[in-house]
Amino acid sequence: MAKWGMVIDLDKCVGCQACLVACKEENNVPHGSPEEQKSRRDIFWHKMIAVTSGKYPHVRVEVIPMPCMQCDHPPCVTVCPAKATFKREDGIVVQYFRRCIGCKYCMVACPYGARSFNYKVQETKPYHRQDDPPDRKSWEPWPFPTRTQGVVEKCTFCFHRIDQGLKEGKKIGIEVVPACVESCPSQARIFGDLEDPQSPVSRILASRASFRLREDLHTLPKVIYLSRS
Amino acid sequence: MGEKRRMENHLAGKKEKGKTFFDLSRRKFLKLTAMAGLSVGAMGIQQPSKASPSQSSTGFGNKAKGKWIPTSCLNCTARCGIMVKVVNGNAIQIKGNRSSLISEGQICPRGHIGLQVLYDPERILSPLKRTQTKKGKGISPQWQPITWDQALEEITKKLRSLQESQKPHHLLIFSGLNSRSHEDLLFRFAEAFGTPNLVSGEGLELESEKAGIWMADGHFDLCAYDLDQTNYILSFGADLIESSPPVARWLRKWGRLRREKPIRTKIVEIQPRFSLTAAKSDEWIPIKAGTDAALAMAIAHVIIQEGLFDQKFIREWTHGFEAYRQIVLRDYAPEKVSKLTGIPSETIIRVAEEFGRTRPALAISGKGATAWPGGSFTSYAIHCLNALVGSIDAPGGLLYEEPPAYRPFPNLPRDEVAKRGLEQPPLDLHGTENFLAARIVTNQVPKSILEGKPYPIEMAIGFNSNLNMVAPGCKQWEEALQKIPFYVHVAPFISEMAEYADLVLPATTFLEEWGYDHSTPGAGFVEVRLKQPVVKPMGNSKPIGDILFHLVEKLPGGVRSAFKDIGESTAGFVRYRTSSLVPWEEFLKSGVWRGPDYQYGKYARIFQTPSRKFEFVSGNLRVLQMKKGRNTGEEKIAPHYSEVKWAGDEGQYPLLLFPYQPLLTFGNGSQNYPWAQEIFLPMQGVGWVSPAEINPETAKSLKVKDRDEVWIESPFGKIKTYVKVSEGIQPGMVCIPWGQGHTSYGKWQKGIGCNPNEVMGIDFDSISGQSAFFNTRVKVYKA
Ligand code: SF4
Ligand code: SF4
Ligand code: SF4
Repeated sequence: MAKWGMVIDLDKCVGCQACLVACKEENNVPHGSPEEQKSRRDIFWHKMIAVTSGKYPHVRVEVIPMPCMQCDHPPCVTVCPAKATFKREDGIVVQYFRRCIGCKYCMVACPYGARSFNYKVQETKPYHRQDDPPDRKSWEPWPFPTRTQGVVEKCTFCFHRIDQGLKEGKKIGIEVVPACVESCPSQARIFGDLEDPQSPVSRILASRASFRLREDLHTLPKVIYLSRS
Repeated sequence: MGEKRRMENHLAGKKEKGKTFFDLSRRKFLKLTAMAGLSVGAMGIQQPSKASPSQSSTGFGNKAKGKWIPTSCLNCTARCGIMVKVVNGNAIQIKGNRSSLISEGQICPRGHIGLQVLYDPERILSPLKRTQTKKGKGISPQWQPITWDQALEEITKKLRSLQESQKPHHLLIFSGLNSRSHEDLLFRFAEAFGTPNLVSGEGLELESEKAGIWMADGHFDLCAYDLDQTNYILSFGADLIESSPPVARWLRKWGRLRREKPIRTKIVEIQPRFSLTAAKSDEWIPIKAGTDAALAMAIAHVIIQEGLFDQKFIREWTHGFEAYRQIVLRDYAPEKVSKLTGIPSETIIRVAEEFGRTRPALAISGKGATAWPGGSFTSYAIHCLNALVGSIDAPGGLLYEEPPAYRPFPNLPRDEVAKRGLEQPPLDLHGTENFLAARIVTNQVPKSILEGKPYPIEMAIGFNSNLNMVAPGCKQWEEALQKIPFYVHVAPFISEMAEYADLVLPATTFLEEWGYDHSTPGAGFVEVRLKQPVVKPMGNSKPIGDILFHLVEKLPGGVRSAFKDIGESTAGFVRYRTSSLVPWEEFLKSGVWRGPDYQYGKYARIFQTPSRKFEFVSGNLRVLQMKKGRNTGEEKIAPHYSEVKWAGDEGQYPLLLFPYQPLLTFGNGSQNYPWAQEIFLPMQGVGWVSPAEINPETAKSLKVKDRDEVWIESPFGKIKTYVKVSEGIQPGMVCIPWGQGHTSYGKWQKGIGCNPNEVMGIDFDSISGQSAFFNTRVKVYKA
């Protein structure tokens, strides 16, 4: 069984945030508003943080694009009382909206702030995607075209793309990648099978210095960053 | 341990000799990772959404099949090739067109935001007529919908009367960000009608950069850069990955420059503010604002003194090197320039040596360095660095891109009225004593309107322009717009400029119309993209091309016949003009046509100067000066640094206003797009705002704290925003992003943030007519 992972090269990344927008576009993630940003209720499956250090003129800022880290030891799964959040066999941590009781334990447990709560009934937009969601027979209700108020949601590694791609016999990581990977103009992101030593992700990890966020927590993220130097 | 390594360890939560780099507790991490890190300051938000939240659970097929249509983006001047997915008549997804090689098939985030441009709920969908006679900021025009027939009738009546009274030049046309095909039609229209007054916003962008290049080699245009092969980049305030055209090309090539070449390209960003580009570069050199020319000359000093220049190129293909060498060696020693620029002389020497020794190397100038009085000479000085290291028309260097050879227009029919109109002096005074080499002096126009000189303007039509928002000194524009007796605004939205219109015509967005487009120079080779409608025009909106074809129908013979035999409609026109390049069926399918690969080393024909060589002392400028009976001597026509002329007295206004251009509002007149708004400032981790960033030292001396509300006041006015204390800002400066402070339309933009142009002084580079953007002094105090 493949274990899907994502590599983000901070040396190539230009901090343009195309990944953020493409994720919203792909998954109908609703846009926020000034009020929602102030109260931190705007929903992002993928976000960007800026970490600043040093004093003028020796200042440094590292901008870090962050999807869900797809932890291999996901604390969000451990704490979910309803078993709504779980890890698939291929390592992707997903969320069953039908089971989610909206207790937000997972949001508290996630050390990366990867999760968002659906505070309101979301508007439907003319540009919302109506095509190719995951198989509705097993997944309804699903955030597109409509969302469910009162549940927690997060990045899915675009598993609908992967599942569909596998069904069509496509090469995952080459012909089929998550939306954020596809949209990255500097091509700073690579997706693929971490278990396969020949996959582009494994090969680049073998050749460059890399790190994961908060390694000390032993969450074992499957989103791995390549260092700038 | 290097700063970089430490940062990564700390992000990874690794301990460093018993202590963490700084205590990154889980709470702190969460705080950082929450998008909204700051208070949102002074913003009044419009009424809550009118659209009722609806959750339709039916109607969407699970397997609705879509179609990908190739077309061209128009959210900035890069005009990238895009693919749009359309399902059930709705556009739902945008990605780059892989056949477009300008950006290797990639697009910037704004490309995706095209969906919110198209489906902006506040678009205007019918022609509107003003019923309020008074015009002014904050005065509601009280729009009344009218029919297209009524609107066109009113416009043509006025246009006819201008022709009949033999005053076609009293018509002024503004062109904002439009497709090349629409620009070409507007140009044709102006010429056939007989007005020399077709004014674009280009005088606000990079005219001084172009003029600097022209002084050296005769090309009044931007250069392209051979990014696949260059090994060193010195960027003078160019903000390469935020606002350097063509944007998407830079975003894509950055990945290549870092990790997809045998040698990693070193990138050095020189500017007073620690921008995103500076953060992503290998080195940031903070420089005292407005002294880039001095630095470029000091770098030349080191290169010449140490003999690091390309002897062969200098000997064979340049002119005036000896005079330049003497000026550089006499006046620009690193120690002396160090005092001017605030950069240690060791740094100047080191960077100059790196630049001189690494081949190929590129020096790139940007708005931050050249949008100053005297900016042409800064651009000239930077351009000369490329000549020194032999990077002219060479692999890894500067390239001279030629525009695509569209099929020419038929000859204009002879028309005496039009001919006399075109002979009138232009309203923007380009080419006159004030602006010797200028092609367009955008910000002179309001002054000429207000003075009624050289003649009064009786009517204006603006196509997607928003000059009272994007030009320095917004007030001057507001007054000028008030004075125009009849103003027609053509755009999909009610922008700040539309508020002054007597009539508004609803134009389509770029996803609903035909056109052809090509980028600003960047790649070296040319590429033309087809723009085709991916969805039906919304409401009663019409493409600008169609509007023009309709208009000329009702105008006198000369104008009407100028639009004959060029395809009869917008789509036909696109087909007509591109027929010299590519068969139509093929173009429809791929959406992209590309010209031949770039040829290097065309020295025998590229230099359009008196000596037919690259000139270190500008013969082109000398010729122009002589024509005007002026002779200023060699020193004044060679690259040089001159001290900045500041607007505002230093005692009263101690700080420098240094605005900057974030990617998410680059080249765009509107900001009513939540996807762009919520992630507006990535370095600060906030959206929906435009804070005034200042150094902690400055904050201390001003007795203001982070998030304090403040006034930014210049001799020309004041704006209110909140303070963001930041280590990335040079002491003594105030940095505010461009793109916010809208006062018109759209609940996602109106009343959000502030617009630094409102308090800016009006000044120009006298050679190119470029507007100065950075030489205004301000004071900051608590609101
Ligand atoms: S990043 Fe957060 S949400 Fe994602 S798997 Fe890890 S703990 Fe769960
Ligand atoms: S993998 Fe898919 S869901 Fe996750 S951040 Fe990327 S685009 Fe969003
Ligand atoms: S799209 Fe790519 S380059 Fe842009 S911010 Fe995301 S990871 Fe970085």
